[in-house]
Amino acid sequence: MTPAEQVGAGQPFIEDVAVGQELPVAVRNASRVQLFLYSAATWNPHRIHYDVDYARFEGHPDVIVHGPLQGAWLSQYVTDWAGPRGRILGLSWQNRASALPELDYEFRGRVTAVDGDVVSLEVWEQTPEGAVLMPGQATVRLPARI
Amino acid sequence: MTIDQGTAGTAPPSLIPTHTMALVGSLLRGPVTAEITAKEAQRYAQAVGDLNPVYFDEAAARAAGHGGLVAPPTFVPYALVQGRPIEETRTDGLFQGEIPLDLAVQRTMFGGEEWDFLLPVLVGDRITAETRLAALDQKEGSKGPFVRITRETTYRNQAGDVVARTRQIGIAR
Repeated sequence: MTPAEQVGAGQPFIEDVAVGQELPVAVRNASRVQLFLYSAATWNPHRIHYDVDYARFEGHPDVIVHGPLQGAWLSQYVTDWAGPRGRILGLSWQNRASALPELDYEFRGRVTAVDGDVVSLEVWEQTPEGAVLMPGQATVRLPARI
Repeated sequence: MTIDQGTAGTAPPSLIPTHTMALVGSLLRGPVTAEITAKEAQRYAQAVGDLNPVYFDEAAARAAGHGGLVAPPTFVPYALVQGRPIEETRTDGLFQGEIPLDLAVQRTMFGGEEWDFLLPVLVGDRITAETRLAALDQKEGSKGPFVRITRETTYRNQAGDVVARTRQIGIAR
């Protein structure tokens, strides 16, 4: 299949969504290389993301994952679920604490409301121990089956 | 870090000088304009690990109902970053603040963000951004008082339509 032909496979429709429905779990694990590339792609020279000694000087246990990178993962989590014909309308999140590289962080979500063709989601990132690290909310417009 | 509403009792000393509070509502940055390029948007998507075909394949983007290649929703701020010389960085690596907010705090951390996505941002769009200081709120947290800084940025395309708004939350303590 070409990428264009793949569009539509797994597309959720508004008729199939119900309050309480859970989104599939996704896992993100940032390598140090990924942190470097994200710093480079966003022109972010902050040393806490690539200089371990400096990060420890600031009181962190290691270099830390950028807050906005975790936000971008959350956005991706929502747009992946919404499918190519879904549209993300809003997204908010709180970074409660730092995330570290080379650890598995889980992204989870559930449907909290359906209003017309707009779905509200509670979405969050949790630590390997299961604590909520980054709570968030999203709204998405989904296509109708007919 | 727990973000709690302050509780009643003895008022803590203010971390926000009067002349800083007077800046609420004022323009902090902009207007700045930049073109959305496929190369930058795709480098960002690759760095995030988001290989959605609508960011890389024009036919896929059109099949998804877009007018052309799309930029990742959270990419737009980075299209507008203006490069600066290394000599203008501080000890922590960050660039010296263009308009520093005078607050009685040691450091500021990224606290979160709120996005409204009104229109998809397409490769080739010319986006203009303006950032305002939307709010300064002193709160009481588990580690003592802190200031919640809200900066609101509005992004418009070449037609003047608002494509996105974001409220970035900084936690200063």
